[in-house]
Amino acid sequence: MAMNPMEQFTIKPIVPLHIGGYDVSFTNQSLFMVVVVMAAAAFLTFAMSGRRLVPSRVQSMAEMSYEFVAGMIDSSAGEEGLRFFPFVFTLFVFVLFCNFFGMVPWAFTVTSQIAVTFSLAALVILTVIVTGFAKHGIGFLKLFVPHAPLPLLFLLVPIEVISFLTRPISLSVRLFANMLAGHTMLAVFAGFVVLLGGAGGVLSVLSVAPMALIVAIMLLELLVAFLQAYVFAILTCIYLNEALHLHDHH
Amino acid sequence: MAAQGPKDLRDLGKRLDEAQRKRAVAAKRPPPSQLGVAGRFATELVAALLVGGALGWGLDWAFGYFGIHTKPVFLIVLFVLGAVAGIRNVMRAASEINADIAAHPATSVNDDEES
Repeated sequence: MAMNPMEQFTIKPIVPLHIGGYDVSFTNQSLFMVVVVMAAAAFLTFAMSGRRLVPSRVQSMAEMSYEFVAGMIDSSAGEEGLRFFPFVFTLFVFVLFCNFFGMVPWAFTVTSQIAVTFSLAALVILTVIVTGFAKHGIGFLKLFVPHAPLPLLFLLVPIEVISFLTRPISLSVRLFANMLAGHTMLAVFAGFVVLLGGAGGVLSVLSVAPMALIVAIMLLELLVAFLQAYVFAILTCIYLNEALHLHDHH
Repeated sequence: MAAQGPKDLRDLGKRLDEAQRKRAVAAKRPPPSQLGVAGRFATELVAALLVGGALGWGLDWAFGYFGIHTKPVFLIVLFVLGAVAGIRNVMRAASEINADIAAHPATSVNDDEES
């Protein structure tokens, strides 16, 4: 067993591939993304294949996730936000499945890579910007102009712009940092188990303590996995709401 | 049987509605955990500082590129603005969380008629 707790995050190429000087190898990261997407698609397709009026257990899980996301969009972005249901639902399910798959031992946690989370966050912000300009035209820039006397605006507009630019960063860093920290913590305590267990005598008995802690952290991480997917989706909704309704809603 | 059918159905419908509503509310809101709130504030603050600093550094670099030496000025000014924006973000996040809690108290059952 590897003693380096960060070792689990290394990206290893499975099928090396170079196109035009760029490294586009199929890596363990890509593999798990494919697995996650296929698992999510298979789950939803299988769950809804019965189309029963009285849903089976699996079908009702799929229906609940639909209602969960629809309710989330409706309450934070209103009727109009429901046009973005496919987008938000895909994001939510993808992040959720990535996080949950990461909890499986030996699995690679896709969302522990800043490249992945930042790509998702950038996609969200680009959608927000495009939606804003499509709906309000140049008036979308009013988002950066708060109600304040003119001299103050010279100070407030840059602050609002910085605040807006913060969003993709905080959105991606939050997900990435939570996943990275949780999995590192698990690996560190797992290392303690091995070290104590190998020490012999009384110390070997003591290795039960970090083991118990791992079980507890595992449970916490399952909660975090869901919570972070939820936070990612709800913040997407809140940002979409601002693009759709500018100031008038908050 | 035929006479009491509609009443039975109405009753069943009412009970179904109630059960569904209870279930939907239970499933809908994970309570904002304190750890999550703390994490959110921290990232909002730090991200704003980073963005402010990066913008300032970039502007200094851009002006320097055209031969105007502003070197530390934009970095300092935008770093401070970034700090302000960070605090603003935290305040906004706090009011969002407050509004969320106010709109969806954990115990209330009858607050989502329109969904």
